[in-house]
Amino acid sequence: MIDTDLKLEIVLPKVPDIELVAIQGLEKMGSYFGISEDKIGEARVLVTEAIINGLEHSGGDNPYVKVEVTMTKDKLIILVTDNGKGFDPESVPIPEIEKKLSSANKRGWGLKLMKSMSDDLLIESKPTGTKISIIKNLS
Amino acid sequence: MSTEFNIVSEIYNNTLVMRTDGYINNVAGEKIIAEFSKNFSGSMNKVVMDLGKSKVVNSIGISYLIDIIEKLNESNGKLVFTSLDPTIEKTFNIMGIFQFAQKADSVEAALK
Repeated sequence: MIDTDLKLEIVLPKVPDIELVAIQGLEKMGSYFGISEDKIGEARVLVTEAIINGLEHSGGDNPYVKVEVTMTKDKLIILVTDNGKGFDPESVPIPEIEKKLSSANKRGWGLKLMKSMSDDLLIESKPTGTKISIIKNLS
Repeated sequence: MSTEFNIVSEIYNNTLVMRTDGYINNVAGEKIIAEFSKNFSGSMNKVVMDLGKSKVVNSIGISYLIDIIEKLNESNGKLVFTSLDPTIEKTFNIMGIFQFAQKADSVEAALK
């Protein structure tokens, strides 16, 4: 096993289930370092939610997200960048199950899940795109 | 990981049991709603959803499961999730799903 980090860089177009490509890479890296299934399971949620959020907000004639996953045996860093028009993360309401049950819109859980399962989350958004940076401790 | 999603249903003693297999995303969520609508009758007071063969669920897919919980609440029915992967169970906990749905280790346990 190498002591340094492993890095996966990939550009994903907006096609159904494309997030599974990144998930497969994540699982291979986790297996290489012997990361526990619990940690990889949570990392799977982080990567999935960051990518589907990015693809939802990506725009133009060529919507895509750029995904960078860097893993050591102790830490995971996930960067997902889209080319959309950006959004104000502060304006995203925190979802509550009681309200969602009586609402026509039952979506909007991605940010809450990413905040809950990560150790650090940063969203940088501007009119040319959004970058989500996630850190998760693996040890 | 296969992108194929399948769902099968059975009815045991007036309880609808749905078993999923594969990634639960928006497309799978629509299939779950369609399967539920096709098989659920107002006389049923329990629906069991076995997710043992679904290891990845995204938040859009879960929004469809919340839709089923809402429909069951309206008819005083309850939804029981079984065979949950630990990460999916944690996801449901974060979302507060278990305030309005139940969980069991297996379909057999849920049917008791």
